[in-house]
Amino acid sequence: MRARFIFIPVAAITISTPLHAEVYLTVEEAQTLIFPGAAFTEDFRNLTNAEIAAIKEASGVKVENRRLKAWRVSSGGWFLVDQVLGKHDYIPFALGIDANGAIKGIEILEYREAYGGEIRNANWRAQFAGKHGGASLKIGKEIKNISGATISSKHVTDGVRRLMATYAIVLAER
Amino acid sequence: MQSCLQSVKRSRPLLGAFVTARVDGLSIARAHQAIDAAFASIAATHGAMSFQEAESDVSRLNRSAHIGPVRVRRETYAVLARARLISSVTAGAFDITVAPSLVERGLLPRPEGAPEPDKRADWRDIELLPGRFVRFRRPLWIDLGGVAKGYAVDRAMEALLKFAPAQACVNAGGDLRVAGGASERVALNAGYVEDGIPTMELTNGAIASSADAGSGAHVDPIICRAISPKRFVSVVASHCIDADALTKVVMARGLASAPYLSVFNAYAVMHDAARGWFEIGERP
Repeated sequence: MRARFIFIPVAAITISTPLHAEVYLTVEEAQTLIFPGAAFTEDFRNLTNAEIAAIKEASGVKVENRRLKAWRVSSGGWFLVDQVLGKHDYIPFALGIDANGAIKGIEILEYREAYGGEIRNANWRAQFAGKHGGASLKIGKEIKNISGATISSKHVTDGVRRLMATYAIVLAER
Repeated sequence: MQSCLQSVKRSRPLLGAFVTARVDGLSIARAHQAIDAAFASIAATHGAMSFQEAESDVSRLNRSAHIGPVRVRRETYAVLARARLISSVTAGAFDITVAPSLVERGLLPRPEGAPEPDKRADWRDIELLPGRFVRFRRPLWIDLGGVAKGYAVDRAMEALLKFAPAQACVNAGGDLRVAGGASERVALNAGYVEDGIPTMELTNGAIASSADAGSGAHVDPIICRAISPKRFVSVVASHCIDADALTKVVMARGLASAPYLSVFNAYAVMHDAARGWFEIGERP
Protein backbone atom coordinates (compact mmCIF):
# COMPACT_ATOMS: atom_id res chain seq x y z
CA MET A 1 0.00 0.00 0.00
CA ARG A 2 1.17 3.49 -0.83
CA ALA A 3 -0.64 6.78 -0.32
CA ARG A 4 0.13 10.43 -0.97
CA PHE A 5 -2.06 13.42 -0.16
CA ILE A 6 -1.94 16.17 -2.75
CA PHE A 7 -3.93 19.12 -3.96
CA ILE A 8 -4.56 19.02 -7.64
CA PRO A 9 -4.63 22.56 -8.93
CA VAL A 10 -7.89 23.03 -10.68
CA ALA A 11 -6.19 24.43 -13.77
CA ALA A 12 -4.41 21.11 -14.26
CA ILE A 13 -7.68 19.39 -14.89
CA THR A 14 -9.70 20.13 -17.94
CA ILE A 15 -13.09 20.53 -16.39
CA SER A 16 -15.63 22.83 -17.84
CA THR A 17 -18.07 22.39 -14.97
CA PRO A 18 -17.34 20.91 -11.57
CA LEU A 19 -19.16 17.74 -12.42
CA HIS A 20 -18.20 14.13 -12.28
CA ALA A 21 -20.05 12.26 -15.00
CA GLU A 22 -19.75 8.65 -15.93
CA VAL A 23 -21.41 6.52 -18.54
CA TYR A 24 -21.41 2.93 -17.35
CA LEU A 25 -23.54 1.13 -19.89
CA THR A 26 -25.53 1.83 -23.04
CA VAL A 27 -29.12 0.59 -23.15
CA GLU A 28 -28.03 -2.27 -25.44
CA GLU A 29 -25.22 -3.31 -23.10
CA ALA A 30 -27.59 -3.34 -20.14
CA GLN A 31 -30.08 -5.45 -22.12
CA THR A 32 -27.40 -8.03 -22.93
CA LEU A 33 -26.15 -8.13 -19.35
CA ILE A 34 -29.54 -8.63 -17.75
CA PHE A 35 -31.02 -10.93 -20.44
CA PRO A 36 -28.10 -12.63 -22.22
CA GLY A 37 -28.95 -13.86 -25.72
CA ALA A 38 -32.50 -12.48 -25.75
CA ALA A 39 -34.11 -10.27 -28.42
CA PHE A 40 -35.90 -7.06 -27.45
CA THR A 41 -39.05 -5.57 -28.96
CA GLU A 42 -39.67 -1.93 -28.23
CA ASP A 43 -43.09 -1.39 -26.68
CA PHE A 44 -43.05 2.23 -25.52
CA ARG A 45 -46.31 3.68 -24.34
CA ASN A 46 -47.86 6.66 -22.61
CA LEU A 47 -49.38 6.06 -19.20
CA THR A 48 -52.98 7.23 -18.78
CA ASN A 49 -53.97 9.50 -15.92
CA ALA A 50 -55.74 6.58 -14.27
CA GLU A 51 -52.60 4.42 -14.53
CA ILE A 52 -50.43 7.22 -13.12
CA ALA A 53 -52.76 7.57 -10.15
CA ALA A 54 -52.81 3.81 -9.58
CA ILE A 55 -49.01 3.57 -9.74
CA LYS A 56 -48.62 6.36 -7.20
CA GLU A 57 -51.18 4.69 -4.96
CA ALA A 58 -49.45 1.30 -5.17
CA SER A 59 -45.84 2.46 -4.84
CA GLY A 60 -46.10 5.69 -2.87
CA VAL A 61 -43.87 7.33 -5.49
CA LYS A 62 -44.97 10.13 -7.80
CA VAL A 63 -44.81 9.48 -11.55
CA GLU A 64 -42.81 12.29 -13.15
CA ASN A 65 -42.95 11.13 -16.73
CA ARG A 66 -45.91 9.47 -18.46
CA ARG A 67 -43.68 8.01 -21.20
CA LEU A 68 -42.88 4.40 -20.32
CA LYS A 69 -39.78 3.04 -22.05
CA ALA A 70 -40.38 -0.70 -22.11
CA TRP A 71 -39.10 -3.58 -24.20
CA ARG A 72 -40.61 -7.06 -24.41
CA VAL A 73 -37.96 -9.73 -23.93
CA SER A 74 -38.02 -12.76 -26.24
CA SER A 75 -37.21 -15.11 -23.34
CA GLY A 76 -40.10 -13.68 -21.31
CA GLY A 77 -40.20 -10.61 -19.10
CA TRP A 78 -39.64 -6.92 -19.59
CA PHE A 79 -36.73 -4.53 -19.82
CA LEU A 80 -37.43 -0.96 -18.64
CA VAL A 81 -35.37 2.21 -18.79
CA ASP A 82 -36.24 5.12 -16.56
CA GLN A 83 -34.55 7.89 -14.61
CA VAL A 84 -34.76 9.43 -11.18
CA LEU A 85 -33.59 12.80 -9.95
CA GLY A 86 -30.43 12.26 -7.92
CA LYS A 87 -28.68 14.78 -5.73
CA HIS A 88 -27.52 16.86 -8.66
CA ASP A 89 -28.92 15.49 -11.87
CA TYR A 90 -31.03 12.75 -13.43
CA ILE A 91 -29.77 9.20 -13.03
CA PRO A 92 -30.85 6.89 -15.86
CA PHE A 93 -31.15 3.25 -14.89
CA ALA A 94 -32.36 -0.05 -16.35
CA LEU A 95 -34.58 -2.64 -14.70
CA GLY A 96 -35.07 -6.21 -15.90
CA ILE A 97 -38.20 -8.06 -14.79
CA ASP A 98 -38.34 -11.80 -15.45
CA ALA A 99 -41.30 -13.79 -16.80
CA ASN A 100 -42.54 -14.34 -13.24
CA GLY A 101 -42.57 -10.66 -12.41
CA ALA A 102 -39.45 -10.75 -10.21
CA ILE A 103 -36.53 -8.34 -10.47
CA LYS A 104 -33.84 -9.88 -12.66
CA GLY A 105 -31.37 -7.03 -12.63
CA ILE A 106 -30.81 -3.34 -11.95
CA GLU A 107 -28.04 -1.37 -13.63
CA ILE A 108 -27.20 2.31 -13.34
CA LEU A 109 -26.57 3.58 -16.88
CA GLU A 110 -25.05 6.99 -16.15
CA TYR A 111 -24.16 9.01 -13.11
CA ARG A 112 -23.44 12.68 -12.70
CA GLU A 113 -22.28 14.16 -9.44
CA ALA A 114 -21.35 17.77 -8.79
CA TYR A 115 -17.88 17.71 -7.32
CA GLY A 116 -17.74 19.85 -4.23
CA GLY A 117 -21.43 20.37 -3.78
CA GLU A 118 -21.03 24.01 -3.00
CA ILE A 119 -18.25 25.94 -4.60
CA ARG A 120 -17.12 28.46 -2.04
CA ASN A 121 -14.59 30.33 -4.10
CA ALA A 122 -16.39 32.59 -6.53
CA ASN A 123 -13.22 33.22 -8.54
CA TRP A 124 -12.77 29.55 -9.00
CA ARG A 125 -16.30 29.24 -10.23
CA ALA A 126 -15.98 32.26 -12.52
CA GLN A 127 -13.31 30.61 -14.63
CA PHE A 128 -15.86 28.07 -15.80
CA ALA A 129 -18.59 30.52 -16.65
CA GLY A 130 -19.76 30.09 -20.20
CA LYS A 131 -17.70 26.96 -20.75
CA HIS A 132 -20.46 24.45 -20.57
CA GLY A 133 -20.08 23.18 -24.13
CA GLY A 134 -18.39 19.89 -24.89
CA ALA A 135 -17.68 17.27 -22.29
CA SER A 136 -19.29 18.33 -19.06
CA LEU A 137 -16.56 16.80 -16.99
CA LYS A 138 -13.17 15.38 -17.29
CA ILE A 139 -12.40 14.59 -13.70
CA GLY A 140 -12.72 11.01 -14.87
CA LYS A 141 -9.55 11.32 -16.88
CA GLU A 142 -7.31 12.37 -14.02
CA ILE A 143 -9.41 11.26 -11.10
CA LYS A 144 -11.33 8.06 -11.44
CA ASN A 145 -12.80 7.93 -7.97
CA ILE A 146 -14.40 10.15 -5.42
CA SER A 147 -14.53 9.52 -1.69
CA GLY A 148 -16.82 11.61 0.45
CA ALA A 149 -20.03 11.54 2.37
CA THR A 150 -22.21 8.73 1.12
CA ILE A 151 -24.82 9.76 -1.39
CA SER A 152 -27.95 7.75 -0.76
CA SER A 153 -29.33 5.56 -3.50
CA LYS A 154 -32.82 5.73 -2.02
CA HIS A 155 -34.23 7.62 -4.99
CA VAL A 156 -33.18 4.75 -7.27
CA THR A 157 -34.78 2.16 -5.02
CA ASP A 158 -37.92 4.34 -4.97
CA GLY A 159 -37.77 4.42 -8.77
CA VAL A 160 -37.49 0.63 -8.89
CA ARG A 161 -40.52 0.31 -6.60
CA ARG A 162 -42.47 2.67 -8.89
CA LEU A 163 -41.51 0.62 -11.96
CA MET A 164 -42.49 -2.64 -10.26
CA ALA A 165 -45.92 -1.07 -9.60
CA THR A 166 -46.01 0.11 -13.21
CA TYR A 167 -45.29 -3.42 -14.33
CA ALA A 168 -48.06 -4.86 -12.16
CA ILE A 169 -50.63 -2.30 -13.28
CA VAL A 170 -49.74 -1.78 -16.93
CA LEU A 171 -47.53 -4.57 -18.32
CA ALA A 172 -48.23 -7.84 -16.50
CA GLU A 173 -50.46 -10.31 -18.36
CA ARG A 174 -53.70 -10.83 -16.55
CA MET B 1 -11.50 -5.05 -30.59
CA GLN B 2 -10.40 -5.87 -27.07
CA SER B 3 -7.20 -4.16 -26.17
CA CYS B 4 -5.46 -5.07 -22.93
CA LEU B 5 -6.34 -1.60 -21.65
CA GLN B 6 -10.04 -2.40 -21.64
CA SER B 7 -11.73 -0.80 -18.66
CA VAL B 8 -15.23 -1.85 -17.64
CA LYS B 9 -17.08 -0.05 -14.87
CA ARG B 10 -20.61 -0.60 -13.59
CA SER B 11 -22.76 0.74 -10.79
CA ARG B 12 -25.70 -0.58 -8.78
CA PRO B 13 -27.74 0.65 -5.84
CA LEU B 14 -26.57 -1.59 -2.98
CA LEU B 15 -26.06 -1.04 0.77
CA GLY B 16 -28.14 2.12 0.45
CA ALA B 17 -25.47 3.70 -1.73
CA PHE B 18 -24.16 3.62 -5.27
CA VAL B 19 -21.66 0.80 -5.54
CA THR B 20 -19.33 0.86 -8.52
CA ALA B 21 -16.88 -1.80 -9.58
CA ARG B 22 -14.21 -1.39 -12.21
CA VAL B 23 -11.73 -3.82 -13.76
CA ASP B 24 -9.02 -3.06 -16.29
CA GLY B 25 -7.21 -5.43 -18.60
CA LEU B 26 -9.81 -8.19 -18.98
CA SER B 27 -11.91 -9.16 -21.98
CA ILE B 28 -15.34 -7.55 -21.85
CA ALA B 29 -17.06 -10.86 -21.10
CA ARG B 30 -14.71 -11.69 -18.21
CA ALA B 31 -14.88 -8.15 -16.92
CA HIS B 32 -18.67 -8.42 -16.64
CA GLN B 33 -18.40 -11.84 -14.97
CA ALA B 34 -15.99 -10.38 -12.43
CA ILE B 35 -18.24 -7.41 -11.72
CA ASP B 36 -21.32 -9.68 -11.44
CA ALA B 37 -19.45 -11.74 -8.83
CA ALA B 38 -18.44 -8.60 -6.94
CA PHE B 39 -22.01 -7.27 -6.83
CA ALA B 40 -23.35 -10.68 -5.77
CA SER B 41 -20.96 -10.80 -2.81
CA ILE B 42 -22.03 -7.32 -1.70
CA ALA B 43 -25.71 -8.20 -1.90
CA ALA B 44 -25.09 -11.27 0.30
CA THR B 45 -23.22 -9.22 2.90
CA HIS B 46 -26.02 -6.68 2.97
CA GLY B 47 -28.63 -9.34 3.68
CA ALA B 48 -26.70 -10.65 6.69
CA MET B 49 -25.76 -7.36 8.28
CA SER B 50 -28.78 -5.13 7.80
CA PHE B 51 -30.13 -3.47 10.94
CA GLN B 52 -33.55 -3.09 9.31
CA GLU B 53 -34.20 -6.53 7.82
CA ALA B 54 -35.93 -8.73 10.39
CA GLU B 55 -34.15 -11.97 9.44
CA SER B 56 -30.62 -10.59 9.17
CA ASP B 57 -27.97 -11.86 11.59
CA VAL B 58 -27.87 -8.42 13.20
CA SER B 59 -31.63 -8.41 13.87
CA ARG B 60 -31.55 -11.97 15.23
CA LEU B 61 -28.71 -11.01 17.58
CA ASN B 62 -30.45 -7.86 18.76
CA ARG B 63 -33.60 -9.87 19.51
CA SER B 64 -32.16 -12.87 21.28
CA ALA B 65 -28.36 -12.98 21.84
CA HIS B 66 -28.89 -11.78 25.44
CA ILE B 67 -30.94 -14.94 26.11
CA GLY B 68 -28.49 -17.43 24.69
CA PRO B 69 -25.85 -17.96 21.97
CA VAL B 70 -26.99 -17.21 18.40
CA ARG B 71 -25.16 -18.70 15.43
CA VAL B 72 -24.27 -16.24 12.67
CA ARG B 73 -22.85 -16.43 9.18
CA ARG B 74 -19.10 -16.57 8.65
CA GLU B 75 -19.12 -13.04 7.23
CA THR B 76 -21.00 -11.58 10.20
CA TYR B 77 -18.67 -13.34 12.64
CA ALA B 78 -15.62 -11.97 10.82
CA VAL B 79 -17.01 -8.42 10.99
CA LEU B 80 -17.86 -8.78 14.69
CA ALA B 81 -14.35 -10.05 15.44
CA ARG B 82 -12.72 -7.17 13.57
CA ALA B 83 -15.06 -4.65 15.20
CA ARG B 84 -14.11 -6.02 18.63
CA LEU B 85 -10.41 -5.72 17.87
CA ILE B 86 -10.84 -2.11 16.70
CA SER B 87 -12.93 -1.28 19.78
CA SER B 88 -10.33 -2.75 22.09
CA VAL B 89 -7.38 -1.02 20.39
CA THR B 90 -9.18 2.34 20.36
CA ALA B 91 -10.38 2.04 23.98
CA GLY B 92 -13.97 2.10 22.79
CA ALA B 93 -13.75 5.11 20.47
CA PHE B 94 -15.26 2.74 17.93
CA ASP B 95 -18.22 0.79 19.27
CA ILE B 96 -20.93 -1.08 17.37
CA THR B 97 -23.28 -0.89 20.38
CA VAL B 98 -24.10 2.81 19.92
CA ALA B 99 -27.21 1.88 17.91
CA PRO B 100 -29.65 3.05 20.65
CA SER B 101 -28.30 6.62 20.30
CA LEU B 102 -28.87 6.45 16.54
CA VAL B 103 -32.39 5.10 17.03
CA GLU B 104 -33.06 7.92 19.50
CA ARG B 105 -32.04 10.45 16.87
CA GLY B 106 -34.28 8.83 14.28
CA LEU B 107 -31.30 7.74 12.17
CA LEU B 108 -32.19 4.08 12.53
CA PRO B 109 -35.63 2.53 13.05
CA ARG B 110 -36.43 0.80 16.35
CA PRO B 111 -35.54 -2.90 15.96
CA GLU B 112 -38.76 -4.87 16.14
CA GLY B 113 -39.04 -7.48 18.85
CA ALA B 114 -35.73 -6.51 20.48
CA PRO B 115 -35.63 -5.87 24.25
CA GLU B 116 -34.89 -2.44 25.67
CA PRO B 117 -31.07 -2.12 25.64
CA ASP B 118 -29.18 -1.91 28.91
CA LYS B 119 -27.74 1.60 29.19
CA ARG B 120 -24.49 0.27 30.66
CA ALA B 121 -23.86 -2.08 27.73
CA ASP B 122 -20.88 -1.58 25.45
CA TRP B 123 -18.71 -3.58 23.04
CA ARG B 124 -17.22 -5.63 25.91
CA ASP B 125 -20.62 -7.24 26.42
CA ILE B 126 -20.43 -9.03 23.07
CA GLU B 127 -19.03 -12.53 23.47
CA LEU B 128 -17.70 -14.32 20.40
CA LEU B 129 -17.92 -18.04 21.09
CA PRO B 130 -16.51 -20.98 19.12
CA GLY B 131 -18.59 -22.32 16.24
CA ARG B 132 -19.64 -18.82 15.14
CA PHE B 133 -21.94 -18.38 18.13
CA VAL B 134 -22.44 -14.93 19.60
CA ARG B 135 -23.83 -14.04 23.02
CA PHE B 136 -24.61 -10.70 24.64
CA ARG B 137 -23.94 -10.33 28.38
CA ARG B 138 -26.73 -7.72 28.59
CA PRO B 139 -29.54 -6.73 26.26
CA LEU B 140 -27.99 -4.40 23.66
CA TRP B 141 -28.40 -3.33 20.06
CA ILE B 142 -25.59 -3.58 17.57
CA ASP B 143 -25.43 -1.79 14.26
CA LEU B 144 -22.77 -2.77 11.72
CA GLY B 145 -23.45 0.29 9.55
CA GLY B 146 -20.01 1.64 10.45
CA VAL B 147 -18.07 -1.36 9.14
CA ALA B 148 -20.29 -3.50 6.92
CA LYS B 149 -19.76 -1.30 3.89
CA GLY B 150 -15.99 -1.47 4.23
CA TYR B 151 -16.15 -5.23 4.72
CA ALA B 152 -18.39 -5.56 1.65
CA VAL B 153 -15.83 -3.62 -0.40
CA ASP B 154 -13.07 -6.01 0.73
CA ARG B 155 -15.16 -9.06 -0.19
CA ALA B 156 -16.10 -7.57 -3.55
CA MET B 157 -12.44 -6.86 -4.25
CA GLU B 158 -11.56 -10.49 -3.45
CA ALA B 159 -14.22 -11.53 -5.97
CA LEU B 160 -12.72 -9.24 -8.64
CA LEU B 161 -9.15 -10.38 -7.96
CA LYS B 162 -10.08 -14.01 -8.70
CA PHE B 163 -10.31 -12.89 -12.33
CA ALA B 164 -6.78 -11.42 -12.19
CA PRO B 165 -7.44 -7.96 -13.63
CA ALA B 166 -4.49 -5.61 -14.22
CA GLN B 167 -6.16 -3.02 -12.04
CA ALA B 168 -9.43 -2.97 -10.11
CA CYS B 169 -11.49 -0.67 -7.94
CA VAL B 170 -14.61 -1.12 -5.81
CA ASN B 171 -16.31 2.00 -4.47
CA ALA B 172 -19.31 1.71 -2.15
CA GLY B 173 -20.52 5.26 -1.73
CA GLY B 174 -17.04 6.64 -1.11
CA ASP B 175 -15.56 3.70 0.82
CA LEU B 176 -13.27 2.22 -1.75
CA ARG B 177 -10.36 -0.04 -2.44
CA VAL B 178 -7.96 -0.12 -5.37
CA ALA B 179 -5.75 -3.01 -6.42
CA GLY B 180 -3.06 -3.35 -9.06
CA GLY B 181 0.34 -1.80 -9.61
CA ALA B 182 -0.83 1.65 -10.67
CA SER B 183 -1.64 4.49 -8.33
CA GLU B 184 -5.13 5.93 -8.58
CA ARG B 185 -6.24 9.38 -7.68
CA VAL B 186 -9.20 9.61 -5.36
CA ALA B 187 -10.74 13.04 -5.04
CA LEU B 188 -11.85 13.78 -1.49
CA ASN B 189 -15.22 15.44 -1.66
CA ALA B 190 -15.36 17.44 1.53
CA GLY B 191 -18.30 19.42 0.25
CA TYR B 192 -16.53 22.35 -1.37
CA VAL B 193 -13.56 23.26 -3.51
CA GLU B 194 -11.09 26.02 -2.75
CA ASP B 195 -7.74 26.32 -4.46
CA GLY B 196 -7.35 22.76 -5.52
CA ILE B 197 -8.99 19.40 -5.26
CA PRO B 198 -7.80 17.48 -2.20
CA THR B 199 -6.75 14.15 -3.59
CA MET B 200 -5.32 10.90 -2.28
CA GLU B 201 -3.04 9.02 -4.62
CA LEU B 202 -3.50 5.43 -3.61
CA THR B 203 -1.82 2.19 -4.66
CA ASN B 204 -3.08 -1.20 -3.45
CA GLY B 205 -5.07 0.14 -0.55
CA ALA B 206 -8.38 1.34 0.76
CA ILE B 207 -9.81 4.68 1.72
CA ALA B 208 -13.00 5.58 3.52
CA SER B 209 -14.39 9.01 4.24
CA SER B 210 -16.85 10.46 6.62
CA ALA B 211 -18.36 13.88 6.87
CA ASP B 212 -20.32 15.27 9.74
CA ALA B 213 -22.17 18.49 9.25
CA GLY B 214 -23.82 18.26 12.63
CA SER B 215 -26.45 15.70 11.61
CA GLY B 216 -25.84 13.69 14.76
CA ALA B 217 -24.94 10.60 12.74
CA HIS B 218 -21.61 10.30 14.55
CA VAL B 219 -21.85 9.38 18.17
CA ASP B 220 -19.03 9.44 20.68
CA PRO B 221 -19.39 6.01 22.30
CA ILE B 222 -17.80 7.07 25.57
CA ILE B 223 -20.04 10.02 26.32
CA CYS B 224 -22.96 8.82 24.14
CA ARG B 225 -23.41 12.21 22.56
CA ALA B 226 -23.39 13.34 18.97
CA ILE B 227 -20.06 14.64 17.78
CA SER B 228 -20.48 18.29 17.02
CA PRO B 229 -17.55 19.63 15.01
CA LYS B 230 -18.02 19.91 11.28
CA ARG B 231 -15.27 17.58 10.28
CA PHE B 232 -14.35 15.71 7.16
CA VAL B 233 -12.20 12.65 7.62
CA SER B 234 -10.56 10.21 5.20
CA VAL B 235 -8.68 7.17 6.45
CA VAL B 236 -6.28 5.10 4.34
CA ALA B 237 -5.62 1.47 5.31
CA SER B 238 -4.79 -1.74 3.49
CA HIS B 239 -8.33 -3.07 4.07
CA CYS B 240 -11.51 -1.11 3.66
CA ILE B 241 -13.12 -2.52 6.83
CA ASP B 242 -10.36 -0.90 8.91
CA ALA B 243 -10.52 2.36 6.96
CA ASP B 244 -14.31 2.45 7.39
CA ALA B 245 -14.25 1.80 11.14
CA LEU B 246 -11.33 4.15 11.80
CA THR B 247 -13.13 7.12 10.19
CA LYS B 248 -15.41 7.06 13.26
CA VAL B 249 -12.40 7.02 15.58
CA VAL B 250 -10.77 9.98 13.86
CA MET B 251 -14.11 11.78 13.75
CA ALA B 252 -14.38 11.38 17.52
CA ARG B 253 -10.74 11.80 18.60
CA GLY B 254 -9.12 13.98 15.92
CA LEU B 255 -5.34 14.32 16.32
CA ALA B 256 -5.40 12.07 19.38
CA SER B 257 -6.26 9.12 17.14
CA ALA B 258 -2.70 8.91 15.72
CA PRO B 259 -1.56 6.04 17.99
CA TYR B 260 -4.67 4.03 17.14
CA LEU B 261 -4.07 4.53 13.43
CA SER B 262 -0.49 3.29 13.72
CA VAL B 263 -1.65 -0.05 15.14
CA PHE B 264 -3.53 -0.67 11.88
CA ASN B 265 -0.87 0.90 9.63
CA ALA B 266 -3.49 3.45 8.77
CA TYR B 267 -3.18 7.12 8.05
CA ALA B 268 -5.77 9.91 7.95
CA VAL B 269 -6.36 13.33 6.58
CA MET B 270 -8.88 15.58 8.23
CA HIS B 271 -10.45 18.93 7.52
CA ASP B 272 -12.17 21.21 9.93
CA ALA B 273 -13.24 24.76 9.56
CA ALA B 274 -10.74 26.13 12.10
CA ARG B 275 -7.56 24.41 10.95
CA GLY B 276 -8.13 23.43 7.33
CA TRP B 277 -6.49 20.22 6.17
CA PHE B 278 -4.02 18.24 8.24
CA GLU B 279 -2.57 14.74 8.27
CA ILE B 280 -2.78 12.31 11.18
CA GLY B 281 -0.44 9.36 11.62
CA GLU B 282 2.34 8.15 9.41
CA ARG B 283 1.87 8.03 5.69
CA PRO B 284 2.29 4.45 4.43
